[in-house]
Amino acid sequence: MAFLVLENLSKTFGTHKAVDGLSVSVEKGEFVALLGPSGCGKTTTLQMIAGFVEPTSGAIRLEGRDLLAVKPAERGLGIVFQSYALFPHMTVAENVVFGLEMQGVAAAERTKRVAETLELVGLAAFAARFPRQMSGGQQQRVALARALVIRPQILLLDEPLSNLDAKLREEMQIELRQIQRTVGTTTILVTHDQAEAMALSDRIVVMNQGRAEQIGPPHEAYERPATPFVANFLGKTNLVNGATVRPEKISFGVSGLAGKVRTRIFQGNHWLYQVDTAAGLVTVIRQNTGEAMPAEGADVHLAWQAAS
Amino acid sequence: MSKNGPLALAYHALFVGFMLAPILVVCWVAFTPEGFLSFPTDRWSLRWFYAIARYPEFVSAFWRSLGLGALSSAIAVAFSVPAALAIARYRFPGREAMTALFMSPLMIPHVVLGIAFLRFFTEIGLGGTFAGLVLAHIVIVLPFALRLTLASAVGLDRAIEHAAVSLGASEWVVLKRITLPLVLPGLVSGWALAFINSFDEVTMTVFIAAPGTETLPVRMFLYIQDNIDPLVTSVSACVIGVTVAALVVLDRAYGLEKLLVGRSGDGR
Repeated sequence: MAFLVLENLSKTFGTHKAVDGLSVSVEKGEFVALLGPSGCGKTTTLQMIAGFVEPTSGAIRLEGRDLLAVKPAERGLGIVFQSYALFPHMTVAENVVFGLEMQGVAAAERTKRVAETLELVGLAAFAARFPRQMSGGQQQRVALARALVIRPQILLLDEPLSNLDAKLREEMQIELRQIQRTVGTTTILVTHDQAEAMALSDRIVVMNQGRAEQIGPPHEAYERPATPFVANFLGKTNLVNGATVRPEKISFGVSGLAGKVRTRIFQGNHWLYQVDTAAGLVTVIRQNTGEAMPAEGADVHLAWQAAS
Repeated sequence: MSKNGPLALAYHALFVGFMLAPILVVCWVAFTPEGFLSFPTDRWSLRWFYAIARYPEFVSAFWRSLGLGALSSAIAVAFSVPAALAIARYRFPGREAMTALFMSPLMIPHVVLGIAFLRFFTEIGLGGTFAGLVLAHIVIVLPFALRLTLASAVGLDRAIEHAAVSLGASEWVVLKRITLPLVLPGLVSGWALAFINSFDEVTMTVFIAAPGTETLPVRMFLYIQDNIDPLVTSVSACVIGVTVAALVVLDRAYGLEKLLVGRSGDGR
């Protein structure tokens, strides 16, 4: 039996169906991302698991037990909030130890576990700082340490990296993944960033209007999108003669669909082309190998493998 | 920072002068040896400061005003916390009406409140008692306490409380260890403003205070109706001295700006 089961879960606010019959099974130790645009119901789903929002109908089971019957304070979940939600009047160590105090862990054990967890997130030297004295990335790690130190059954991450700048976000993605693999905690990530979902998770739940459009490994969802919505949401696509083609699957050849390069943009590791063809405007992404590429205005032929 | 022109400087100087002049004049006159309010005076004496000792009712009125301000402000703040949290967080029927009701003492002239309380307290047997004064002062300082408590309650991120709950904290623990410490700057500021307003109040209090329960402003007001000697100026000078000393101590210990603006001390 799956570790965490969401069964036909729904939440209605007034007449608006925020979550509409969502069913997901999560295995122990798995990293699952709820991915979708804002308003797709992913945050509401997370809040129902956390216990801050009560479902209109449906069930949530953790190891077969009914989680909805358990008070939020007793669910034993670690949550990292988008705003980090650190306790501003407490030091880093006080923030992290809070959950252990609530669990009634003995003082010596508390000290040891706080030190271990701060070590894990690379903040051992910052225990006495206040959150306001730290950068966004560091606060993020404190929030992670505070959630992990209680050894939660499930780690819930609510848009955890969206307040960080692009470079830091990438670093934190790698770090977050390593930490999750190290501690092995079952993790549910809520995000609107498809790159983040694909980088971090074992499986993605692509959500739209309260429903799951597709559930599967990132690679599979990207290569074989179940619906046009999934195809569009997981990166760029071209719709050519009724078939969807990823821009990086198209190459310039001597034969194939004829067209003229409208714009060419250099992006370091790749080139981004917009090509006018009889089938409409086609986006092409070619890896930068250092070789000469067709210029703007050049006549080209586009070729690709038939979609699987 | 842009530089002020000569006209603006003159304006500011006049403005500051206008604000400070009455206070300085009162302090100056307090040192006169004459038996009447003489200004300017060219001789100095502490005669009227020593004279305060002959009027113990001024000293007891001072302590009563302090106690009344502290107590009524503390009760008003204690009442403001649940009210502010409810108003800041929930949309419920009667929410607007409740807010308006708590703020209404600001809108009602104190002379009207004074007459109303006089009738009411006499009716229920609280006329001229200290308890009556405390009740009336709670009503008039409540808007000040509530305003600042509300400001800090509105600024509170609910995710912080959710985080505490998810870590296993009960509602009581969340209130004690998270919510109250975070709204504390607002509570302290609200208390301070409420205290100042209570200490200062004379228009309403003069109606409901009886001999034996007079506050300091009421005592001074009644004294100058019958006397022209500079005793009230020396009392005023003492109050100003205590106030300045209190402000200096508070500024050193806590920061005046934080205290009066209600900004959180931890830079959220």
